[in-house]
Amino acid sequence: MGAGRLRRGTAIAALAVSLAACGSQPGGAGGGGDVTISFAWWGSDGRATITKQAVELFQQKNPNIKVQTTFSAYAAYWEKVATQTAGGNPPDVMTVDTRYLSEYGERKVLLDLNEGAGKQVSLADVNPELANTGVIGGKRFAVPWAQNASSLVYDPAPYQAAGADPSQPMTWEQFRAAAEKVSAANGFQVRGVTDFGMIDSALEIWLRQRGKGMFTPDGKLGFGAAELKEYWELASRFRTTKAATEAEVTASYNTSPEQAPLGKKLTAAEFAYDSVYPGFQKANGKDLRVAPYPSDDPANTGQYRRPSMFLAVSARGKQQEASAKLVNFLINDPEAGKILGADRGLPPNLKIRAQLAGEAKGTDKVIYDYEAAIEPKLGPAPAVPPKGAGAIQKLLQRTYEEIAFGRLSVDDAVSRFMSEAQKDLQ
Amino acid sequence: MTVLKTPPSSATAAPAPRKPRGAGRRREHQREAYVFLTPWLLGAIGLTVGPMIVSLYLSFTEYDLFTEPRWVGFENFVRMFTEDDRYLQSVKVTLLYVLVAVPMKMIVSLLVAMVLNTRAGSNGFYRSAFYAPSLLGASVAAALVWRAMFTEGGTVNELLDGIGLNTPSWVDDPSYTIWSVILLAVWQFGAPMVIFLAGLKQIPRELYEAAEVDGASPVRKFWHITLPMLSPVIFFNLVLEAIHAFQVFTPAFVIGGGRGGPADSALVYTLYLYQAGFEDFEMGYASAMAWVLLVVIAIVTAVIFRSARLWVFYGDKS
Repeated sequence: MGAGRLRRGTAIAALAVSLAACGSQPGGAGGGGDVTISFAWWGSDGRATITKQAVELFQQKNPNIKVQTTFSAYAAYWEKVATQTAGGNPPDVMTVDTRYLSEYGERKVLLDLNEGAGKQVSLADVNPELANTGVIGGKRFAVPWAQNASSLVYDPAPYQAAGADPSQPMTWEQFRAAAEKVSAANGFQVRGVTDFGMIDSALEIWLRQRGKGMFTPDGKLGFGAAELKEYWELASRFRTTKAATEAEVTASYNTSPEQAPLGKKLTAAEFAYDSVYPGFQKANGKDLRVAPYPSDDPANTGQYRRPSMFLAVSARGKQQEASAKLVNFLINDPEAGKILGADRGLPPNLKIRAQLAGEAKGTDKVIYDYEAAIEPKLGPAPAVPPKGAGAIQKLLQRTYEEIAFGRLSVDDAVSRFMSEAQKDLQ
Repeated sequence: MTVLKTPPSSATAAPAPRKPRGAGRRREHQREAYVFLTPWLLGAIGLTVGPMIVSLYLSFTEYDLFTEPRWVGFENFVRMFTEDDRYLQSVKVTLLYVLVAVPMKMIVSLLVAMVLNTRAGSNGFYRSAFYAPSLLGASVAAALVWRAMFTEGGTVNELLDGIGLNTPSWVDDPSYTIWSVILLAVWQFGAPMVIFLAGLKQIPRELYEAAEVDGASPVRKFWHITLPMLSPVIFFNLVLEAIHAFQVFTPAFVIGGGRGGPADSALVYTLYLYQAGFEDFEMGYASAMAWVLLVVIAIVTAVIFRSARLWVFYGDKS
């Protein structure tokens, strides 16, 4: 009772202080004055709750900085940020995806964190290779906020019943056969795996297993018509043998786990980032696991240290010092790291990561164990994708749908993809 | 009206109750009128005319939202019609939508209005109930419900399965997506229905009575009395609905999962315009698309107005 009253008292005091702070705000950029910065990210409600907690902690430690937070789902987020940026008012601190980093970095929306205010963002405890995934032409437009890896999220029970263990290395054909058995075991109601012909991250891993990549370092498409044809024929083999989902289910694919086929319990496996795995677990309700991709070359699983999300500072904002301070806090503060957990992937700060790895439980532990297991096999990260990478993701999805619904042959779809991709990457 | 002799000038704004007292007084009135109009004028100029002029300029530029626009002349317009397959797809989808949704909505709203105009149907409750869906208008909520109803395992599919029709998921099969958008539009027939109802009530009863005396069948009465007498209202609804239909956005956006449906099957014009502007960072191109749409709507409206002479019957002209 006493504690409650005390807490209420502090809350009122805090409110009074912040009200007073509001009152004193106009007057300007004088030393020690209060500043307000805006901070936007994409993600779910659950992510918002913990992110706001971390921001709250930052405000307690920096009473002169007020942070206004907003968040939206991935696609809506990019539309919103684009509109705000066009209006000359991008968020001071924002999360950036590797697919859009060039778009915003090269157009001078983002601050080079190697310079000025950005210098206070310390990357001393971050794996240098991961840290450099945010660098374009020597300019550090963003710093990774978390590391994730591609994976196969799957339900072990039906696969075991089919006599397969996806956690062990298998070829694509072995995986297809296992997935087909899983589908057949329940009368093809729940399919072995979500179709992956439209998933750009799956295509990327498949290409890397063949020594190619999504994009070349100079921003061209990293694969030709022949590779895409082979990939889509592989996916089509999964589809036509009913190992993978039928076209209508594939068309409803959406990167948010609750709306994806695995989340809707329509499949027993789906290629996804390991950071999304807890979302699948929650939506699907079964005891899911993560495994590496199948690969025809056991020495090369195609995986790499992937920046799951970057933090960046607006080059157009007035409060760059405070903004950079928030970025540094979110990456390097141990308490913040603890609050944020593995929601976006592993913490980039290796000291925090090591500490959290020891304490991890439940789905977090699954992710930590998985990343530790694949660590020795990780290859070098690709260069930052060029402008238009976001458009390529959508192009891949809608052209593959033409194949899945039988409206275009694989060959026609490949040539349409190649010609539209040229335009998108101009 | 013709008996009253009114000075020709008083046809403008508020007619003065007494004789006008000279030009100075009138000018003063005009000034007051403009003062009262100011809020509207500011809004119209600042929020409509201004942005339109800017977008006209942008339509001749390449503009990525973040850096300065670059003048490219007619390049955007040329690209639209010569090398952009998605643009042509969006035109195809939109034309299908307009050509099907507008007549269907008109027919349904006229039928419902006629039922409500009978003695049995002339009840305030029914009128409100049938009008309600269009209050939801182009709302996101209605479209989300629609999506949930027509998706795999949704109400509509379950019902159709129940009577032995095994239909695919309406919103996820590219052959059906646009039809669920059209159905949503037709369901929201309330606004034209209310206007039709008002029109039907204006038709003099004597005409029907005279026709009944002559032994005319209900079908004949419909073709020879209701339709001609209603033609000005049909004309009005047609113009409004056509203009609206060309600009359809929200239902296609929501039902198509925010991306124009699978394989671009519900990629209506404005949705592609939006994607070009806000997702692909091609605001110049998007502005050009907007101006083409404006011109097309203007032409279509002009054609409807022109054709009105042939089929719209105003009672006072013979």
